[in-house]
Amino acid sequence: MKKRAKWSGILLSTVLMGSLLLSACGSQESAPAAGGQASGDGGKKDFTYAMSGVYKPFSFKENGQLTGFDVEIGQALAEKMGMNAVPITNPFETIIPGLDAKKYDAVIGSLTVTPERQKAVLFTNPYYRSGSQIFVQEGNTTIKSKEDLKGKKIGVVKASNYLDWAKKLTDEDKITQYDSDITALLDLPTGRLDAVITDQVVGLRFIKEGGGKVIDVGEPLSFDEQAIAVRLGDQEAVERINKALDEIVKDGTYEKISQKWFGRNILQKQ
Amino acid sequence: MIIDIFLSSYPLFLKATWLTVQLTAVALMLGCVVGLVIAFFRISDSKALNYIAHTYITVIRGTPLIVQICILYFGLANMVTLSQFWAGAIALAVHNGAYIAEIFRGSIQSIDRGQMEASRSLGMSYPLAMRRIILPQAFRRAIPSLGNQFIIGLKDSSLVAYVGMQDLWGTGLGEAASNYKQLETYMVVGLYYLVLIMIFSYFVNKLEARLAKGEAPNKQAKDNTSVAA
Repeated sequence: MKKRAKWSGILLSTVLMGSLLLSACGSQESAPAAGGQASGDGGKKDFTYAMSGVYKPFSFKENGQLTGFDVEIGQALAEKMGMNAVPITNPFETIIPGLDAKKYDAVIGSLTVTPERQKAVLFTNPYYRSGSQIFVQEGNTTIKSKEDLKGKKIGVVKASNYLDWAKKLTDEDKITQYDSDITALLDLPTGRLDAVITDQVVGLRFIKEGGGKVIDVGEPLSFDEQAIAVRLGDQEAVERINKALDEIVKDGTYEKISQKWFGRNILQKQ
Repeated sequence: MIIDIFLSSYPLFLKATWLTVQLTAVALMLGCVVGLVIAFFRISDSKALNYIAHTYITVIRGTPLIVQICILYFGLANMVTLSQFWAGAIALAVHNGAYIAEIFRGSIQSIDRGQMEASRSLGMSYPLAMRRIILPQAFRRAIPSLGNQFIIGLKDSSLVAYVGMQDLWGTGLGEAASNYKQLETYMVVGLYYLVLIMIFSYFVNKLEARLAKGEAPNKQAKDNTSVAA
């Protein structure tokens, strides 16, 4: 028995040594992670902000580079705050839990301000305004307004405010939830869905770039304010971001970014 | 077209493939260490160690990997802050460790008990007999199942995309959402996994062939029948 104890002791220490070695050699190449640490770039603090990365044109990948409106707004804000911009992606439905879990400092991911979410996070001033829009397959003549959606199959992204709209407009068991709005839109021509509810701009961009034969239907369901979210209690961050946001709006940076992506200023009320 | 997607995105996917390989390699190495320890716990005479190993295997094997990854990355964030890489690697190691433990246990117990008794009667200590006599033979028997488990582990690593990691699958999801071409993009991703696994299988087969040299398969099969596992 004594010998055996020694044997397991040897094993255990091998395990510990092994994992230490591994963590030592692995840590340099590990992916971008937790927020708030000072690193790189002249000792500037990192401003880590999350988005889904599958929400073209707000956040998406181009040749492996994360890009889009949300990314550039984050970069502009970080610059004003004298910080180092680190955009990262997280699946949309885990984006608020991830913020809670301190995986990043803020969410600049087209989060619509809703009373429900205000219980979970602190919102800054809105950084753009847009509408919730219904999209259907081209040639669909039965759906002309939101009233026609009763009993129809609707696709939306998980944990979005579009999901709340879908719940209001059709039966709960007729709703399909996706990881990405784009995936939902791509499912329209397959006939698995009758309609998709998502952001106006996202859908219009999809149509313009020939993603599929899809059209927008009726008036927007609502005009939503999208804001940047930080952790509850982090009032200081809200003020810091609001100040930076004001500055980029005043000095024309905001206008430039918005014009680049949408050809208009999406902060103004329509 | 698949070819177009393949050609336009290969620098990106090669990078993602490298990340997937790193992640899986680290995870499976750790998983083997965990597996070996747990296997020894299970076959040891100590009730407490038996119990620990048994609980570990029951809990880990009885819960989905995706749940474990999310618990590690999001759930425990207030206690330990892990990067995406390490949350993914540790979750994969812990998960695969439970299966690898059973593979090791099975192959150790498949070695005729008489071999241990013979070694001990020659004056070898238990650890020495284990190391020199039992483990080398057990390892050889473990290889097919181990190779199988590694392939499963490699494919399971795609679940780390769920915490936002840009591995092969994560990259594929992102690409499909920006080029609007799901079928082609997913097929390209599948191709990368397929090639990786074919390369891996090739080396496992090589290793197996090399270790089988000088082994008399028929005799071994006969020996096996005398062991009640």
